[in-house]
Amino acid sequence: MLEVQSLSKTFGIGASAYHALRAVDVTIAEGEFFTLLGPSGCGKTTLLRLIAGFEQPTAGRLVLDERDIAAIPPNRRPVNTVFQNYALFPHLSVAQNVGFGLEAQRRPATEVKARVAEMLDLVQMGHLRDRRSSELSGGQQQRVALARALAPKPRILLLDEPLSALDLKLRKDMQTELKRLQQETGLTFIFVTHDQDEALTMSDRIAVMEGGRLQQVATPRTLYDDPANRFVAGFIGDTNFLQGEARGGSVTLAGLPPAPLAGANARSGPVTVLVRPEHVVIGHSVPQALQVEGRVERLVFSGTDTHVHLRLGQGETLVARTQNSLHSGTALEQGAAVNAFLPLEALRLLPDEAAHG
Amino acid sequence: MADRRFSVRHLPGVSGIALITFVVLYTPVLILVIYAFNAGPVIGRWEGFSLRWFTAALENAAFRNAARNSLIVASVAGLVATLCATLAALATTRGRRFRGEGGIYLVLNQPLLVPEIVLAVALMILLAQIKQATGYHGLGWLIIAHSTFCIPFAYMPIRARLEGMDLTLETAAMDLYASRFYTFRRVTLPLMAPGVLAGFMLAFVISLDNVVVSTFVKSPGQETLPTYLMGELRRNLSSEIYAISALLLFASVAVVAASWLITRRKP
Repeated sequence: MLEVQSLSKTFGIGASAYHALRAVDVTIAEGEFFTLLGPSGCGKTTLLRLIAGFEQPTAGRLVLDERDIAAIPPNRRPVNTVFQNYALFPHLSVAQNVGFGLEAQRRPATEVKARVAEMLDLVQMGHLRDRRSSELSGGQQQRVALARALAPKPRILLLDEPLSALDLKLRKDMQTELKRLQQETGLTFIFVTHDQDEALTMSDRIAVMEGGRLQQVATPRTLYDDPANRFVAGFIGDTNFLQGEARGGSVTLAGLPPAPLAGANARSGPVTVLVRPEHVVIGHSVPQALQVEGRVERLVFSGTDTHVHLRLGQGETLVARTQNSLHSGTALEQGAAVNAFLPLEALRLLPDEAAHG
Repeated sequence: MADRRFSVRHLPGVSGIALITFVVLYTPVLILVIYAFNAGPVIGRWEGFSLRWFTAALENAAFRNAARNSLIVASVAGLVATLCATLAALATTRGRRFRGEGGIYLVLNQPLLVPEIVLAVALMILLAQIKQATGYHGLGWLIIAHSTFCIPFAYMPIRARLEGMDLTLETAAMDLYASRFYTFRRVTLPLMAPGVLAGFMLAFVISLDNVVVSTFVKSPGQETLPTYLMGELRRNLSSEIYAISALLLFASVAVVAASWLITRRKP
């Protein structure tokens, strides 16, 4: 179990100081696939580098197995890293790369040999053990980097955007592969990415970061269904933001009848309501839904779906996602007037951000 | 349409000037090498191919002594300069920034900033005193003198190599439980080795053909190859000098070519 306690990191001093991390608190459980997700500059890589020991925190504690490791240098921390550019040693063979960590720890040669063979089997690279790393493809280098980081049996494996250099097809394969490795080894993975799809498909829990702060730490499902704030809602998936007014336990969206929404009791005044595009229904009525009228402004075909951009009567835009099937019924036309239905259970009231500061 | 990107080659007259430059630079050298193989003793009159002047040079004890001195001085001074340059390059590319780092460059590049004749006179005056005081008149003084001006030449390729290396590799080694020294021995040193070798070879060549500093610093009776050649020229202009010059040229070209081949390999 790794506890990150009020961890801060500031680069520079005075007016030019840059607060990369602002009092971050999070606990990462044993055997968890934990993802740090956010746009570039959000602090996710800084947090990873602090855990690895490549940077020293300005304040706070890093507690691993009830021991504060914040001051321990990287070569004595039981964590290993898979680097973004893999950082394989170009002058060493695949097997020498994988054995590097064990040899640096002066483990007996027989143990090193056995462990290297075991690791190369795990990532299916045994047949290339004598190759130079510069002779490997991107996907193969990725596997060697993984085997090298796993070989010394770290307590935690850190992965710094390890898939970002691979093409789409290979990236999908490696996502599956990584998840399999994590389940087989039962190891705690801390994975950094800016790719929300990658985060959603692989993680047990995701920490969404922005501006050096954790915005929300939750399972992929919860992040998607119940985003804690506007940033998370906008960053994870596509979302429609609708402006409304809360009064007496219900929310009124412009030009519509009041609707009872969860959480509306505690609120009054202007509020933001979220609805995901795939929950908007077009063409047929559904029970327990708000009905809005709009005009089709644009149709965007994306393979399995069509994104329907509607201009509502009040000038707001609403995006709906309809699945393309063989019998899609009446085809939508640009400029056509349509009725869209917003199921009440799909509407989410965005928490009051002012209250959280 | 042909590639219209700007290239200096498309300017009028450039190839002509380049050709003239090559001719001016290399014709004298070519003539020297050709006449080194001349059977006759007179420059400008070709009397057939022969290796007699090379044989004569190699049988000349004074030449052999000068060549030995030159090789010793170039090897040892090259090694000393390379060691200093390696440490300096590591400090300036790997260490934290430190106070007076700018001063390091002044020290490193002193031989490039100070005119060589000034350095030579200064070294002569200083070393003459020490020679008198210690009574030692061996090659050591030449080695010390050569080491100083060889350092920047050794430093340049080493620094270039270190700057071209991916710093993440050393971070990765530290992440994999390697101590600082283990990281240096297993990662940094093997990866910088081609730069070190290239630096040594450059320093070696620079020392090998030095005339000015050697002339002022050498003790009476001591000769290096270049100073020996200067002395011989004053006495008689024989084809043997051509042969010796050709040998020196071949050695330099071989070392520089080897150094170029080594640095061409990417980190």
